Amino acid sequence: MARPCAVVGIGQTKYKRQLPVTLDGLVREAALNALEDANLTFDDVDAVVIGKAPDALEGVIMPELSLAHALGAVGKPIHRVHTAGSVGASTAISAAVLVESGRYDTVLTVTYEKQSEGNATWALSGGRSGGQGAGGTFAPWIREYIRRSNAPEHIGWTVAVKDRLNALKNPHAHLHLEDISIEKVKESPMLWDPLHFLESCPSSDGAAAMVLTSEDKVQRSPNPPAWVLAHAKRTEFSSFPGRDTIRIKAGLDCAEALYKKAGITNPRKQIDAAELYVPFSWYEPMWLEGHLIAEEGEGWKMTDEGATALDGDFPVNCSGGVLSSNPIGASGMIRCLEAANQVRGTAGDYQVDGAKVALGHAYGGAAQYFAMWIVSSELQPEFT
Amino acid sequence: MADLPDIDFTLEFPYTRTTGPVIGPFLTGLRDGRILGTRVGDQVICPPVEYDPDSGATVGPENLVEVGPVGTVDAWTWVAEPTSKHPLDTPFAFAQIKLDGADTTMLHAVDAGSIDAMSTGMRVVVRFNEDRVGSVTDVHFVPGEEAAAPSPVDADEDVEIMEHLIGVRIQEPLQPHRQRFLQGLLQKKIIGQRSPADGKVHVPSRGYDAINRVPMSDADDVEVEGRGTVTSFTEITPIQYHGQTETEPYIRCSILLDGADSTIGGVDVRHIPIDEFRVGMRLEVVWRDDISFDDADNRGYGLNEGVYERWESTGEPDVDPELVKEHNF
Amino acid sequence: MGFEPQENDIAIIGVAQTDAHARYDGPEVVMIMECVNQLLGDAGIERGDVGFTIAGSCDYLSGMPFAFVSNVDGMGAWPPVYESHVEMDGAFALFEAWLRLQMGDIDVAMVVGSGKSSPCNAREVFHLQADPYVVAPLGIDPDAMAGIQAQALIQAGKATEADIADVVVRSRSNAAANPHAQVSGDVSAEDLMSAPYDMAPLRAHDVSPKADGAAAILIARRDRALELTDSPVWITGLDHRIDSHHAGLRDLTDSPSTRLAAAGAGVGDGAVDVAELHVIHSHEEIILRDALGLDDATTINPSGGPLAGDPVMATGLTRIIEVAKRVAEGEASRGVAHATSGAALQQNLVCVLEGGS
Repeated sequence: MARPCAVVGIGQTKYKRQLPVTLDGLVREAALNALEDANLTFDDVDAVVIGKAPDALEGVIMPELSLAHALGAVGKPIHRVHTAGSVGASTAISAAVLVESGRYDTVLTVTYEKQSEGNATWALSGGRSGGQGAGGTFAPWIREYIRRSNAPEHIGWTVAVKDRLNALKNPHAHLHLEDISIEKVKESPMLWDPLHFLESCPSSDGAAAMVLTSEDKVQRSPNPPAWVLAHAKRTEFSSFPGRDTIRIKAGLDCAEALYKKAGITNPRKQIDAAELYVPFSWYEPMWLEGHLIAEEGEGWKMTDEGATALDGDFPVNCSGGVLSSNPIGASGMIRCLEAANQVRGTAGDYQVDGAKVALGHAYGGAAQYFAMWIVSSELQPEFT
Repeated sequence: MADLPDIDFTLEFPYTRTTGPVIGPFLTGLRDGRILGTRVGDQVICPPVEYDPDSGATVGPENLVEVGPVGTVDAWTWVAEPTSKHPLDTPFAFAQIKLDGADTTMLHAVDAGSIDAMSTGMRVVVRFNEDRVGSVTDVHFVPGEEAAAPSPVDADEDVEIMEHLIGVRIQEPLQPHRQRFLQGLLQKKIIGQRSPADGKVHVPSRGYDAINRVPMSDADDVEVEGRGTVTSFTEITPIQYHGQTETEPYIRCSILLDGADSTIGGVDVRHIPIDEFRVGMRLEVVWRDDISFDDADNRGYGLNEGVYERWESTGEPDVDPELVKEHNF
Repeated sequence: MGFEPQENDIAIIGVAQTDAHARYDGPEVVMIMECVNQLLGDAGIERGDVGFTIAGSCDYLSGMPFAFVSNVDGMGAWPPVYESHVEMDGAFALFEAWLRLQMGDIDVAMVVGSGKSSPCNAREVFHLQADPYVVAPLGIDPDAMAGIQAQALIQAGKATEADIADVVVRSRSNAAANPHAQVSGDVSAEDLMSAPYDMAPLRAHDVSPKADGAAAILIARRDRALELTDSPVWITGLDHRIDSHHAGLRDLTDSPSTRLAAAGAGVGDGAVDVAELHVIHSHEEIILRDALGLDDATTINPSGGPLAGDPVMATGLTRIIEVAKRVAEGEASRGVAHATSGAALQQNLVCVLEGGS
């Protein structure tokens, strides 16, 4: 039967356009930081779970093979996850499964992307001309969300500014746009109508890592644990007649399963901080609705009223989010580990006071892969 | 009707790798005419590594030492037919070479002329190519112990980035349903497939109905109209990347063709201004007189740009967007 | 007699595989669909009864980043499903599914491995598995590494060219009874050894024929397994380990990661009647037998193994299927399946399967 699992170590690199390191150096920095946080070494690790987006982003096939030694995995299992944009969170969940299964006590999990080695839009286009990029896929759905919800156009700009202001408090964040403003966002070039350049995520290098361990091993690590209360994943087809790409069933089902497992009955009230995968500004309100935090058509009002700001009642992406750092394969894990940072009280300048329960989320593909987890400072928090 | 030609496509990209504190100096060394290993504990490892293989501790550039240029072959294989990815185009050996001064072997090519010249324990020496950029391909090995002075290279910056042009060639026939779909387009016909399970018409079909998990065959082919309703769109400002030929903004939309239940996606529209474009708008295809393909493939979410001149308004009233909202992809 | 399962034990309750097609005309998705439909039909369950699905594949084989996304079309994902994917052979997907079921809240999982390798030259693809800085630019592919490994094995006196040829002779002969095989029949070691070298000391026939194919498995927790089948095949051990990719830091004539995985899976805890080994290059069988501690009492690769047909990314999972079939049919009471990834047997998975109820 499943046993409890906790995050006891978190490690990140700086996220940047181009980091002057090898892939070995990149993953090692995050891994060693996570081990140091957990007060452990490679010798204490029973298995490694690694995740990243398509191999073609760096042109290295099954990079777990050439990175295993750098990650201290020689003689151990190393497991490689790939679930498109959701992969970072999927990898965290697979790592938790290794611990929860009872088979592995301490698991090091690492995700990364080195976007500067290749080109993501090229990869998304299958190496052909005319690639529309991720923004080109999502923009029509954002337009449809706006049509259905009657949201005013400044909502997207508001998210873009809020997340970049949050990023100023996060030393790991890629973008530190000191002079970000609504004016600057709306005057930035229109890339995929209605998305402006500054409403889109950057292209980043970076790695993120966590050490997960079983309940009986938590005491070895000095810093507070983040207990993994629940995780859930759901997938649906990318396209089929009748698919609703705005109110996506896989996303709704995933949230429902997640909250049920965690014992959450009122997510807006019972979750203290959320890290949602928002690569394009409008996905903040879309996921608030798409994951049952706001009623249908009401998500943009939460953004508009400031509920999702660092000092709001439902802070979203206090770390700056994907809009401020996007090492694709790691981006989902960053959401999961920033949720853990909040409940461990280790979020520094972007700490939500007294956060006890936090949500980490990622999505991928044609908004068809969902991976989410809930972490808490307490193993069995009481929800009222 | 003659079959359309096979797909022959190369997925190619010039990757740029930052080389970091240890591999960078190693590659710089090759360019400058020397081979470096790393001292880790009591052994010298070549090619150098960034970490102690036993403890995992980080090893920096301060431990780099010069090795070679002569070494001893450990295990080897004879490459009778080099591939396009190999460094030599005539038969040669790949070998594990333990360079003098190193305790571990490095993999490299030995240009020995003949398999009979190869043996475990043989001595080989590095040859530096004339033009060197700071890559492991700047050198190869030959039998013997006589070092040759590397030619001078006019560069003094450290190698911090290496380029690796990677190409994977894909050659395959068009799948049967794609063959029929594309043959249809040549005749200005749009061929979809009607699912035998639920009657829904898929255009372009992928050869199966995923919802009901049934493969479809030519018996399921149906023709649909070259006219339909816009279900979603955006205007794309092309991002430049290797192989991208688009430069100007254009509309990309999904269209639900009359008689179809799935949309054709990625439809490029270049003759209607963005401020006149809307969901629910009725469009029809204007075929090219001279239809041909140079980019036929097995993927196919759209119609293939090569077949139509443009899409234009049918003049019909718009369809209520609510009625097509579950057809936006 | 046989294994006595506890509540938390997991059994294989159904298997499906396509032929190892030299070239499959249709979409990879349809091969997956055929396997999935057969599995569900045989087990008499609906798609919604499967609590967790996980697949293994490699985007690069089809030259299409995100190729794995469309594979979901073959597995079924409407209504939405709990699903994951590894960029590894399907056997490694089984590893995660087996762990996931041990959490207790889900009782049936489906595992898929698939690949269409015919559109590409696998050597040109898989040289990109090597160290990207000092090996991949040289184009040292898995076949070249295998040639080096085979030469080291012979040089060390652990095998002869005749031993290596014998592996091929037996594989092809065994494959005659395997309807899914691509290459089969009687050949003599003498004839094989008169063929020219390819990657000396290996010859073309020492390298598995790459194929298009898919394979899938259904697994279940004990109580559900016993409801769904009369012949459950229990996964009594499953482990995988990796060696360094630095060939210069390894003894290529041994496979330490296989030894560790075998110990972890408990291979030595009982007699092994049958073993299916992921042998892509014939000499690897000799290294693997030694590392797994198998002797002449074990029948190796009765299906012919990958040397008779290598549906890349499904090949490892197919080894598990071939053992499971023999255990389910009572031909063997305990068997071992092996899967590998990377060049020169770098990463190895070992699975022990047992009959009994």
